[in-house]
Amino acid sequence: MHVESGVDAVPAIRVVDLHKRFGTLDVLRGVSFDVRRGDVVSMIGASGSGKSTLLRCINRLETPSSGEVYIDGEPMGHRGQGDAKARSLAEINMMRRDLGMVFQQFNLWPHMTVLGNVIEAPIRVRGMSRREATALGEECLARVHLEEKSKEYPARLSGGQQQRVAIARALAMRPKAMLFDEPTSSLDPELTDEVLVVMRELAADGTTMIVVTHEMGFAREASDRVLFLHNGLIEEEGPPSQVFGAPKSERCRQFLSKHVQ
Amino acid sequence: MVSDALAEALDLTTFWEYREVLLRGLAFNVYTFLAAATVSIAIGLAAALLRVNRLRPLRWAGTVHVELFRNAPDYIMVVWVHFVLPLLLGKLLGSRIEFDPFVSAVIALGFVYSGYFAETFRTGIQAIPLGHLEAARACGMSERQILWRITLPQVVRRMLPEAVNIFVSQFKATTIISLIAVPDLMYRVGMVLQQEMKPLPLYTGAALTYFIVVYLFAGTVRALSERWRNRIYA
Repeated sequence: MHVESGVDAVPAIRVVDLHKRFGTLDVLRGVSFDVRRGDVVSMIGASGSGKSTLLRCINRLETPSSGEVYIDGEPMGHRGQGDAKARSLAEINMMRRDLGMVFQQFNLWPHMTVLGNVIEAPIRVRGMSRREATALGEECLARVHLEEKSKEYPARLSGGQQQRVAIARALAMRPKAMLFDEPTSSLDPELTDEVLVVMRELAADGTTMIVVTHEMGFAREASDRVLFLHNGLIEEEGPPSQVFGAPKSERCRQFLSKHVQ
Repeated sequence: MVSDALAEALDLTTFWEYREVLLRGLAFNVYTFLAAATVSIAIGLAAALLRVNRLRPLRWAGTVHVELFRNAPDYIMVVWVHFVLPLLLGKLLGSRIEFDPFVSAVIALGFVYSGYFAETFRTGIQAIPLGHLEAARACGMSERQILWRITLPQVVRRMLPEAVNIFVSQFKATTIISLIAVPDLMYRVGMVLQQEMKPLPLYTGAALTYFIVVYLFAGTVRALSERWRNRIYA
């Protein structure tokens, strides 16, 4: 049995009673969970179950209606340590550096080269020198097996390559955790694998990851824990062997019977 | 008879005789254009940023700017800025104010065309996919960094062909600054006319001169920017 030390007792990400309302629509209705350092957590569930919104609330691309997210014990939404004052946008920007995000649509900046995309934030946000950032960028591109594409523009790459560049861009900020929002959903099946291979390698290297995905194979084999979301609540959670092998919830069982061949 | 007149109109010897004095006038068109274009871009960008702002009063201010200046005839604006604006300012500041004709021309043409640039900037800004901005926010970039590093570099590439069109109109509009006695090409054509009484060849020569300048300018920008612009497209 793994005994948590004092430092490790603080989870990398802690989500507490998160609610998100869009008008009259309750998308998240009280979600709480922890992600320990080095863990890979997959979030599965039907479209509209709230999993993408949950991910976007974690790095505050969406502002939660209530609840709090803690990164290494630091609250995202307010200053903490008894100071209930809401964080300014500048402070939230500071905290976002620690969370790498990978989007369904890649969202590379088309006017910059591959390397330019990767080193932009390290230079502008972390204040690195160009030389330092370039070395780091090349290292990150090597991790996604695209070092030879560093001078290309994104429009010249396949979808799978673009998504791997997006992963390298997020890694270059040396984040405490990586958030993946359906990273393979807009890729042709034959391009999905190259992205999943990279993600599995990151997982094996001990990267803390939250992955919203429809790839049940990845969720089952690469994650430490699986969350099944339904109607804005965590309906089922546990190690993949349990969620996939013996789900307690009827809805989870139905979802899996539809999505697992 | 008709062909005599035509032959006279197409005979550019008079224009050629006065080429030095006339082309020195063209320099004023170019100066006025460069200064007015700079004003238009700066003010147009500011107005566009107002128009995409979250705050309604700011959006409204941007819209007023665009409607006011885009709908003002440049001819009237030049005259108004030169003769009326100094009176208004003089009244406000309680002193006599006079504008140099060149300054009036730059202000008038700068503001009129800022209305066009504002709209071009705005549509360019709104065409940037939200995901590009979210990716930048997720990296911790500030809104100012996103504007200058992510949004505007793409906007400029997308809007360049349209911007060239506006520049062409703006350059051609500098033909009216002779109205307030900026000694430009048209002004000098008028001066030569009083001596030579040959309007047709002089106007043909002036038209040809403007055509060549515009044609070379637009062609050069297109040729130099094409690769750079199209890199962003698949």
